[in-house]
Amino acid sequence: MFRSLRHTSIIFAVGLLVAAACSPATTPGASASASPAASPSAGGAASTLVIDRDLSDLISFDPAVLYEFSAVFATHNVYETLVKFEGTDLTTPKPSLATSWDIKDAGSNWDITFKLKSGVKFASGNPLTADDVVYSVQRAIKLNKSPAFLFTDIAGLKAESIKATDPSTVVVTMPKTSSTQTFLVILTFTIGGVVDSKEVKAKETGGDFGSAYLLDHSAGSGPFAVDHWTKNTEVLLKANPNFGGTKAALSAVLFKHVPEPANQQFALEKGDIDIANDLGSEQIAALQGKAGVTTTSASSLLLVYVGMNALVKPLDNVKVREALRTAVDYDGIVKDLLKGNGKKVQGIVPAGLAGYNESTPFQADVAKAKALLQEAGQASITLDFLVPTGGAPGGAAWSDIAAKLKSDWAKIGVTVNIKQTTTADLLATYRAQKGQLVMINWGPDYPDPGANVNPFTDYKAKSIAYRNGWDDPIATKAHDAELISDPAKRVAAYKEITDYVLHNGPYVVLYQPNELFGLRSNVKGFNWSSIGWAELASVTK
Amino acid sequence: MRFLGFLTRRIVGIAAVMIGVSIITFAISHVIPADPVAAALGDHATDQQIAAFRADYRLDRPLPEQYLTYVVGLAHGDLGRSIRTRRPVSDDLFDSFPATIELSLAALLVAIVVGIPAGVWSAVFRGRLPDHLVRLLSLIGGSVPVFWLGLIVIGVFYYQLGWLPGGARIDNFVAPPPTRTGLYVVDSLLAGDLEALRSSLLHLVLPALTLGYFSTAVIARMTRSSMLEVLGQDYMRTARAKGLQERLVVLRHGLRNALIPTVTILGLTFGSLLSGAVLTETIFSWPGLGRYATAAAIALDFPAVLGVTLLAAIVYPLANLVVDIAYFWLDPRTQRG
Repeated sequence: MFRSLRHTSIIFAVGLLVAAACSPATTPGASASASPAASPSAGGAASTLVIDRDLSDLISFDPAVLYEFSAVFATHNVYETLVKFEGTDLTTPKPSLATSWDIKDAGSNWDITFKLKSGVKFASGNPLTADDVVYSVQRAIKLNKSPAFLFTDIAGLKAESIKATDPSTVVVTMPKTSSTQTFLVILTFTIGGVVDSKEVKAKETGGDFGSAYLLDHSAGSGPFAVDHWTKNTEVLLKANPNFGGTKAALSAVLFKHVPEPANQQFALEKGDIDIANDLGSEQIAALQGKAGVTTTSASSLLLVYVGMNALVKPLDNVKVREALRTAVDYDGIVKDLLKGNGKKVQGIVPAGLAGYNESTPFQADVAKAKALLQEAGQASITLDFLVPTGGAPGGAAWSDIAAKLKSDWAKIGVTVNIKQTTTADLLATYRAQKGQLVMINWGPDYPDPGANVNPFTDYKAKSIAYRNGWDDPIATKAHDAELISDPAKRVAAYKEITDYVLHNGPYVVLYQPNELFGLRSNVKGFNWSSIGWAELASVTK
Repeated sequence: MRFLGFLTRRIVGIAAVMIGVSIITFAISHVIPADPVAAALGDHATDQQIAAFRADYRLDRPLPEQYLTYVVGLAHGDLGRSIRTRRPVSDDLFDSFPATIELSLAALLVAIVVGIPAGVWSAVFRGRLPDHLVRLLSLIGGSVPVFWLGLIVIGVFYYQLGWLPGGARIDNFVAPPPTRTGLYVVDSLLAGDLEALRSSLLHLVLPALTLGYFSTAVIARMTRSSMLEVLGQDYMRTARAKGLQERLVVLRHGLRNALIPTVTILGLTFGSLLSGAVLTETIFSWPGLGRYATAAAIALDFPAVLGVTLLAAIVYPLANLVVDIAYFWLDPRTQRG
């Protein structure tokens, strides 16, 4: 019987192979490609930029859905926006698809009229018109995915707030409770990417506004188009032949999912990749002096800080909070722990944004800190200190920074019990106002000072100020500042607010980290913007 | 009939294991004090966004209702939606499982092709240099952590010598073969794509050797000890007395009998290879189930963790079932009623 079973098994196995051989084959990513034979090699190794990066955060390439770092980086090079930031300047939006815009006071609203550039074509060859802009904004609002709050909550838009008055003119009506400056800044982000409405409408299924299609395809007018996304493996962007701007020197950009920094370093040194995107300070140090390789760093918009819960005694006392800030050796953290891969920033707005406050009054002044504690009537304090696991932005371990702070605070008689936990657990405690001292980082949702000042000051927003139990009238001033349309007056208002928070808020802002990259020496024109992307069209190799 | 009855009992057993595993994993993943939604949406999410996400994933429902919904979905082949990737878990598993199967099979092949002959060699030359060598290498294989070995082989064979690729399943500039089985080597063969075959085979070498080393060591030691036992049996003496060549005595009479315990180990080894793949896949950037499971666990992605656990709960008993079937073939005594 079992001899026959053996024969049956062999026949079954052969049958499976034959069935597999006869079944219709699918190439990974072929669904996104016109040709099933399309491959990373289509553009040739010489003109394809290979970037190793942790792509595990990818969910979608739909500009109305994506809100993840990897997708923001890639998609920024696929879709164009009405306005954009040029280079590393994140203070003044410049024309892009819109050649000009006019902001009018329409009584209870603002009316912003955008005039569109003529002759722009999508990758499909369809012309870009005002209808595409209206469709793009409306689908983002109606889909109501992760980034939609930027349009609905921050800019106060509804689907009917945008209309096309002619094929090259778009008018947006905004409530006066929102800032036109902030709206322009939001438009530079990926959610402002204009999609090809004809192509996307043709792909709509079940009222999804084409989001299933745009998950791993693209319909933009930018210098590149999504060729394919093989989950957990790679993303290939190919140059868009219909791009109206300066054509990309590269024929393709291949993002490989390689999360391990050491593997990225090896592959870079071997010349198998052109850019390593997730290197730590250890890898950067190892790459120094290696032939054929260079390293570079660029400022991020993150701030690493310690939140001090003002609901917990004695952190409700402003002098205790000031003492904790005063005792910290910020220079030591930046120089010794980060190896210089960060900047000493003590305000709540990072360098690079309008409203950045350069003031750094605190630096390991033990005597002054002790005096402040004495004034507060506190000789000896013990607090729990919640710290995430793993690496902190800038290349140091969270635990090392925590140990340094513990040592600094011990010098003024403050004892902290470090409790290390996963970020998810830490956030759960922090959100519930149950932390005492909590170390974490924050990055703005959009490159505008309001994206930091509001969460750091507005208790009712249930964000950072809430988590630290700090309900202060400064929040009103922060909202007023956001609505100021004169850029200079706005910056001045933010200076006053950030100065106040610097000495009264429940935060010890430690530093602003740099992002670190390894590049092959022949890679030129790679300039990382602190918002989280690089213009790949200007990169050569 | 006896075989069919055995098969039925085993399938019922597998179903019972799956139900048990699903209940335990579901319970554990829902009692730990961490919020997967906050982990998925991050620091910036508002309470409204978190509430909407919880409703979307039915995480706001009572636990028994959530489990019931899950089980009903399971009965329809629906493993739920991943919180991290937002895709159906079955799609994620379908994408990542073939990579792990390919790696585990390659590692198993290494273990069989190297481990069994090494064990036989060691037993035949007991107490002499080959025996000492095999035992030493087995000791090292059983002691060296996979992650350390992985880093060393990448450092030596990829970084220093440049002989073999250090990660991924295929070269950057070689198109993966059209998907039929998801196993690149098989798919390359089926497509007649020699370039993809060459590249995918080369990419398999280091991770398969790394993952397979431990199993090779275990199998070599197991084969050695059972061979030593068999070599002393009366029937071996009889075979020699009949004037058979020593090679035939060892391979035909000795090895076949010595293989029974080794086959048992092979079944367990395949299971352990799947779990060992977690580290190997991480080190070698191998887009398989292990790396998927790691990312899911870090992100508290419970539907994905459940999916992986259930898959493992099927694979382990299935591997043991294959072992039991192999017994029938190897040991005729088990075929008698």
